[in-house]
Amino acid sequence: MNENTNPSPPKTALRLLSWFCPDYLYEEIEGDLIQKFNKDVRKKGRNYARRRLMWNAIRFFRPGILLRHKPVVSLMPLYMLTNYFKIALRIMVRNKGYSMINILGLAFGLTGAVLLGLWIKEEFSYDQFHTDKERIYMAWNKQRYKDGSASCWNATPRVLAPTLVSDFSAVESAISIAHYNDSYLFTAGDTRIIKNTASFVDAEFLQLFSFPLVKGEAKKALSNPNSIVLTERFVKKLFGDKEAFGETVTLSQAGNTIPFTVTGILKDLPSNTDFHFEFLMPFSFLETNFGKDTQWSNNSVNTWVKIKEGASLDALNEKIRDLKKKNTNEAENTELFLYPLDKTHLYSRFENGVAAGGRIEIIRMIGILGVCLLAIACINFINLSTARAARRTKEVAVRKVTGAFRYSLIMQFLCESVLVAFAAGVISLLTAYAMLPFFNSLIRQNLVLNFGDVTFWTFAVAAIIVVGLLAGAYPAFYLSAFQPVRILKGASISSNGRSRLRSLLVIFQFGFALTLITSTIVVFKQTIYIQNREAGYNKDHLVYHYLTGDLIKNFAAYKNELLASGTATSVTRTSSPITDRISNTASMKWRGKDPEDKTIIERFSIDEGIEATAGVKIIKGRDMNLDKYPADSTAIILNEAAVKTMGFDDPIGEIIEDNGIEWHVVGVVQDFVLTSPYRKVEPIVMQGSKSGNDMLGVVHIRLNDQHSVHDNIKAVSCIATKYNPDYPFEYHFVDVEYEYKFANVETTLTITSLFSGVAIFIGCLGLLGLSTYMIEARIKEIGIRKVMGGSVTSIIRLLSAHSLRPIIWAIALFSPGAWWGMNWWLQSFEYRISFSIWMIAVAAMALVSLALLTIIVQVYKAARANPVNSLRSE
Amino acid sequence: MSKEYLGEFEELILTMVAALQEDAYGAAIAEEIETRLKREVNLSAVHVTLYRLEDKGYIKSSLGGATKERGGRRKRIFTITSAGMAMLKAMKESRVELWKLVPQLKMIGG
Repeated sequence: MNENTNPSPPKTALRLLSWFCPDYLYEEIEGDLIQKFNKDVRKKGRNYARRRLMWNAIRFFRPGILLRHKPVVSLMPLYMLTNYFKIALRIMVRNKGYSMINILGLAFGLTGAVLLGLWIKEEFSYDQFHTDKERIYMAWNKQRYKDGSASCWNATPRVLAPTLVSDFSAVESAISIAHYNDSYLFTAGDTRIIKNTASFVDAEFLQLFSFPLVKGEAKKALSNPNSIVLTERFVKKLFGDKEAFGETVTLSQAGNTIPFTVTGILKDLPSNTDFHFEFLMPFSFLETNFGKDTQWSNNSVNTWVKIKEGASLDALNEKIRDLKKKNTNEAENTELFLYPLDKTHLYSRFENGVAAGGRIEIIRMIGILGVCLLAIACINFINLSTARAARRTKEVAVRKVTGAFRYSLIMQFLCESVLVAFAAGVISLLTAYAMLPFFNSLIRQNLVLNFGDVTFWTFAVAAIIVVGLLAGAYPAFYLSAFQPVRILKGASISSNGRSRLRSLLVIFQFGFALTLITSTIVVFKQTIYIQNREAGYNKDHLVYHYLTGDLIKNFAAYKNELLASGTATSVTRTSSPITDRISNTASMKWRGKDPEDKTIIERFSIDEGIEATAGVKIIKGRDMNLDKYPADSTAIILNEAAVKTMGFDDPIGEIIEDNGIEWHVVGVVQDFVLTSPYRKVEPIVMQGSKSGNDMLGVVHIRLNDQHSVHDNIKAVSCIATKYNPDYPFEYHFVDVEYEYKFANVETTLTITSLFSGVAIFIGCLGLLGLSTYMIEARIKEIGIRKVMGGSVTSIIRLLSAHSLRPIIWAIALFSPGAWWGMNWWLQSFEYRISFSIWMIAVAAMALVSLALLTIIVQVYKAARANPVNSLRSE
Repeated sequence: MSKEYLGEFEELILTMVAALQEDAYGAAIAEEIETRLKREVNLSAVHVTLYRLEDKGYIKSSLGGATKERGGRRKRIFTITSAGMAMLKAMKESRVELWKLVPQLKMIGG
């Protein structure tokens, strides 16, 4: 029988059979079918045979065949898979440098992504643990101005919460929470602890929110005015290992000493909450002792509302909108609205009265950063694999010739990339774990890598496989597409199109690095700029502490002794630390004030001598001095911004009305930073001691710089304890407190520099790999050039230019984005540097020189090599 | 002797395996049945029965040589086991026993 005339059986039928037939039976059945087919062809012709074959094949689709699939049906793919991994491992081991670059690059990218991912996850979990979170809302104010703009804030009157509960049927419960800054001395047995913030809440607080109690009942814990709820950590500090529940703790504040019963012990607050307190006291305590605050114009608390299930928020918002207007006589034009708890952490920035993002903007940036890090690491992998393709063409060709299918080659390459990704994943998890404490202290979070969590592992393994497949997909398809015949005949693969793609990817990588370097420069400059900002007062040798216990009574003697002993050169009582605001108002009155003017003015009360103590500069008029001018208790000093706001040409002698007192202006102080160094200086007034001793709870002490700080502090501590034996002495350095204001921008700086470092490192790793292979591919060309008389310099120039071209492109393409992005960031500071083009220029220079540094050794070696070595094999 | 029961088609296939010896594989058995008994059999039915007999231990199999006729695919050659042979014999004997009970007719020309 002539083989050529023997028609081949139709493939469809056999493919169908192979699909359902168990592998170990397939061969003989197929053989039988073919035999039958050939017989049919001879007897009854081709068409009949074909139909018959199809029909016969279909009839094998029966339980007697189908049920013969064994549980471990096919060892083949599994066997091949282990083989692929074995080969991949051998290849990795053989090319150690290349594997290192690949794995390290990917591991760096993954580490960054893991850390950022953990951070993002944490941010999204803020206050999401409350059981009824979708029914909990915070009350906000919206004030509309004449020019159509509006601003929002969340301080509300104390009276709002009870009103909401009693007057609105849709409200299930509503509570006030307030944090008051003052000095609170806790005494339990022999232990004494001072806390400078006290949190007051309504009794329903523990029911509205889901902070779990270790001991006590959420319903009853705060119902008694003299009850207190402590966190476990605070209990530990106060009581040690003794039982605290039901015990008494004494609280002293401003001369009052009151016993409280511990009626609840809270589990320590999780890190992912915006609530911060160590103890809770009921508002009913304040109200039974000092009376109720029913002022609708006094915004002193935050109000949280839980609405009834099924109640309409919009309807409720509509009803409460004008609540403030209804309850005040003055031309109040603030509106109230409720904003959901689950959006409070990330989406509570309002622009012109409309929600306009908030922290989510930063989180988005972080997300983009993480994805980009991962992307450049994957790009490295893709670039290196395709650049190395030339090396593996022969392997691919031989495999194909010996019968490898394309998909099995693809599988093989994917196995390699998954293996690399896996190695990188393991390294990155370990690195992330090791880096976590450091990273946590950087971003001031408490992130944990939970290795015991099943979902975490599922996620990690899935992520590694996805990264491996993503990074490996393109190289796998590219490498497996080679035509064995052409390769084995010696034709080189043309890689023009590929190298264009590679350049494109490199452009992206370095564009990203450029953006990050630019950010680092800008953030650095801005940080320095803010830190060097003139605070307006002298921070050195300046301490403050809260006036506690008997010090209030003995203040005059205390001050005298401080001055007489030569420890201090000047002492001033103030309402708040000079680094902090205590209160502000829009309802101050002065001559010629526009009734529509709602500018907020900061209050800062002093007794006297602020210039000598804090080192602020009085530029007009004089400082307060109660000995010389007893009327100075109603004196007021304005800062420059306040003078401008009030529109006085000569403010001295003007009268300013606030809190029912007529203050007379005695001086003007140069602008100084009271709140945030990122912002313009706001209008500040320094009011005299008429505001009352209660208002003057802090004392600032200018230490005598003739003595060492250590001696001074010891002396102050001694004197303070003498006049106030019941209290431990606690003090703060103003310069240290002032430094805290920079924590945020410093975090941003560290993070941007850290991640730009990572991005540059990954980029340079990739560039190193690419240039190595570029040189390898052009080694003969270099040899010929040298033989023909090319100089070393010209060859270096040629090779470097080739490597650097995509970087130049990156600079050209990504500069506008970097410029736009950094301008956007700078907008968040009122006090900021202006973005100049040289910052991008410096970043670009840095990038080019780094890239050059990376490749120069390789290029130099290649250019110096003896051409005989590269050419003799031809 | 086992209580195992063999169906008619199973017995037929088993007999063919015993008869064809080294040449007992799916397609050949089907062909033999077709030519000798003039009975249409389906290839898949033959295979399924062969596998079932193998499960029951009456035949065993091994992969044998490939021919061009089969497109290079190997055959699965079945051989009868002693259990299979015993079964065949037992069945034949019981048939003969039963046959004896049938009232004997005069064989024409006998």
